[in-house]
Amino acid sequence: MKRYEMIVIGAGPAGLSAACAAAEAGMEVVVFDENAKPGGQLFKQIHKFFGSREHQARIRGVKIGENLLADAKKLGAKVVLGATVLGIYKNKEVSVRLEGEVRNYKADSLIIATGAAENMVRFDGWTKPGVMGAGAAQTLMNLHGIRPGKKILMVGSGNVGLVVAFQLLQAGCEVTAIVEAAPRVGGYGVHAAKVARTGVPLYTSHTITRALGADTVTGAVIAEVDGSFAPKPGTEKTLDVDTVCIAVGLSPMSQLADNAGCEMVYDGAKGGYVPVLDEDGETSLKGVYCAGDVCGIEEASTAMIQGKIAAAKAACELGYMSEGAFAQKAKGYRESLKKIRAGMFGPANKGRADIVATDEGYPLSQSLLKNGFIAERETADFPTFTYGGGTRVVIECTQNIPCDPCQDACPKGCIRVGADIALLPTLDASRACTGCGLCVGACSGQAIFLINDTLEDGHGTVGLPYEFLPLPQKGTSGKALDRSGRELCDAVVVDVRNSKAMDKTPMLVMKVPKIELGRARFFKVLEAATSGAEEGSVL
Amino acid sequence: MTVIVREKSTDSFAPQAEDDMLVCRCEEVTQGDIRTAVHAGLRTFGEIKRYSRAGMGLCQGQTCQRLVRAVVAAQLKVPAGEIGRVAGRAPVRPVVMKELALSTEESEGVDDYAE
Repeated sequence: MKRYEMIVIGAGPAGLSAACAAAEAGMEVVVFDENAKPGGQLFKQIHKFFGSREHQARIRGVKIGENLLADAKKLGAKVVLGATVLGIYKNKEVSVRLEGEVRNYKADSLIIATGAAENMVRFDGWTKPGVMGAGAAQTLMNLHGIRPGKKILMVGSGNVGLVVAFQLLQAGCEVTAIVEAAPRVGGYGVHAAKVARTGVPLYTSHTITRALGADTVTGAVIAEVDGSFAPKPGTEKTLDVDTVCIAVGLSPMSQLADNAGCEMVYDGAKGGYVPVLDEDGETSLKGVYCAGDVCGIEEASTAMIQGKIAAAKAACELGYMSEGAFAQKAKGYRESLKKIRAGMFGPANKGRADIVATDEGYPLSQSLLKNGFIAERETADFPTFTYGGGTRVVIECTQNIPCDPCQDACPKGCIRVGADIALLPTLDASRACTGCGLCVGACSGQAIFLINDTLEDGHGTVGLPYEFLPLPQKGTSGKALDRSGRELCDAVVVDVRNSKAMDKTPMLVMKVPKIELGRARFFKVLEAATSGAEEGSVL
Repeated sequence: MTVIVREKSTDSFAPQAEDDMLVCRCEEVTQGDIRTAVHAGLRTFGEIKRYSRAGMGLCQGQTCQRLVRAVVAAQLKVPAGEIGRVAGRAPVRPVVMKELALSTEESEGVDDYAE
C-alpha cells in the first residue's frame, strides 16, 4: 500500500494551505478532492477578502485560490481531483474512489479539511425546481457563467446571503428582496449596505412561507414572524420571483472525522457536530487533524491559518520541524488567528444581540441592523461620516470588523486603523487628501466615498465604488440613489477611475447638487443608456 | 443533559399541519413519517433513520440532518444536540458496487491533476 507522509482531504483554503505548509517543510503530501476543480469555495468568491495584509485582505478569493494552487505545484504537493475519500480506517488508512476503482493509501499524518454544506429550511414548496442554496446559485454564476434565474428572493442575511445577493445583481439578475427571520441583519453591515443602496429591500423579522408554482417557482410568499419565528397571520406578501436562494447557514461536513473514530461533539455555535480538537487542530486520534469549516463554520481566512497550524504540528511530529521552530511558527499563526477573529462578528460574539455599541463607544446603527442601511440621522454618531468640505473621503464603516486595507491604501496616511484591526478607521484631517480614490477601490466593504464640493455651479461630486458592468462612461446620465436605494436626483458621471491597484473596483465619480453630497451613494444608469450594451458580464 | 424518556406514547397520534411536507427529499420522508417514528417510541437519529429511511439517500443526510433533528427535538421537547447524528460510516459517499469490487490493496502513487 502506497504510504504518504501526509494525506489531506479537501483542496479548499484549509486543505491547500496545509498541503503547502507541509510540503514546504519537506513532507511528501497528497491532497484528495472529490470535485472536478480545486479550491473549494475560493474560486466562487469573486469579492475582496477582509482582514489584514497577512490574511490576504483586499485580494479576491478566486485569486487567493490561484495563488494557493500555484504554491502547491511549486512546493510539490500533489492535488488529485475527482478523488472521493470513502472512508478512513485504523492506522490512518484511507480509501479513495478514483478513476473507476477504489484505492487504498496509508498516511503518516492526516488532515481532514472537508469544509461544510449548506443548510436548508423547510417551507411549502421547498423541493421545487427554482429553490436552491445560495452557494449553488453562486456556483452557477461564477463557475459556469449561468444566471440562476431572473428575479430572485434571497432567504437569509448572513454574509453568504448578502454577498451572493450582490453577485446576483452583478450577474444582471433582479434581487426582489432579502428576508431574514431574525430581527437583525446577520452579516456585515457593509455587505448589507452595498446591496441596499442599489434598491434591494431587506425585510428583517420575515420568512418565506411558500414557494408558488406547479412545476417550477413562479412566486414566493413571505410573512412577518413573531418572537418565536412563527409567521404572523395577515402579514403575507406575494413576491413575483422565479428563484428562491437559501442562505441560512452551513453545517460542517464532519462525517469522515466521525468515521475515522474521532471524538465528536455537538456545538450549535459551530454549526453542528464537530470533532473535538486541541489547540493545534489535532483530533482525539494521534496524527489526525482537522482544519477549516469542518471544525466549525468560520471564514476562509481562518481556515487557511488553521491548515497551516495543523500542518506545522504534523511536520514537527514527523521530525521535519524542530519543537522550537514549531512553537515559533504556531505563535505567529495564533496571533494572526486572534486578529482575524476579533470584532463583533468573531466566534466569541457570533449571534450576540446584546451588543449595542462599537468598541469605540459609538451606538450601533439600528437602521443598518434592521433595514440594511444607515439612516441619515445616525450618520452624526460616527466621526468618519463628517465631511469637512473640499476633497475628502467619508468612511461609512460602523461595525468592528477585522479589516484594514483602507489604511494601507492611502498614500498620504490620512486613514488610520492601528494594530487592532477590528477598530473603526479614523481620518486625520490635518493631512491633505489628494482625491486619488485608492481607498475607495481598496475597501473590501465598499464603504468609502470620495466627496468634493469645490465645483462652482452649486454642485459637487461623489466618488463611489462601482463593481457593475458595463461600466458607465464619462457623460452617462442617470439617477443618484441614497443609502436605501431611493432615487434622489439626476446625476451625471464626470469621471471613472479604474487603475490596476483598484483591482476591478472602479471609482465612479458622479456630479450631484451640493445638498445631496451627504446622501447620494449609488448611481443608477437610466434604462435607455444600457440597452444594446453587453449584458450581465461578471467581473 | 436532558434525559430522553424512552417509552412509546400511549396517546393516539395527533396529526399536525405540515405533516405531509417533505423533510428528507432523497428518500421522500415527510414530517408526518418522522413524527410517526417518534410516536412509535424511536428517539435517536440512528433509530429514526432505520425506521423511516430519512438520511439514507444520495446525500446521506447532509441536507436533511438538521431538519430531521429539529422535527424530533420539537416533538420530544429536548435540545437538537441530544438527538444524535447520522453515523459517519464508510462509504461516506455513494459508490458503485463494481468500483468497490475493484478495490485494490496495492495502490500505486497518484499523479497530480493536469490543467
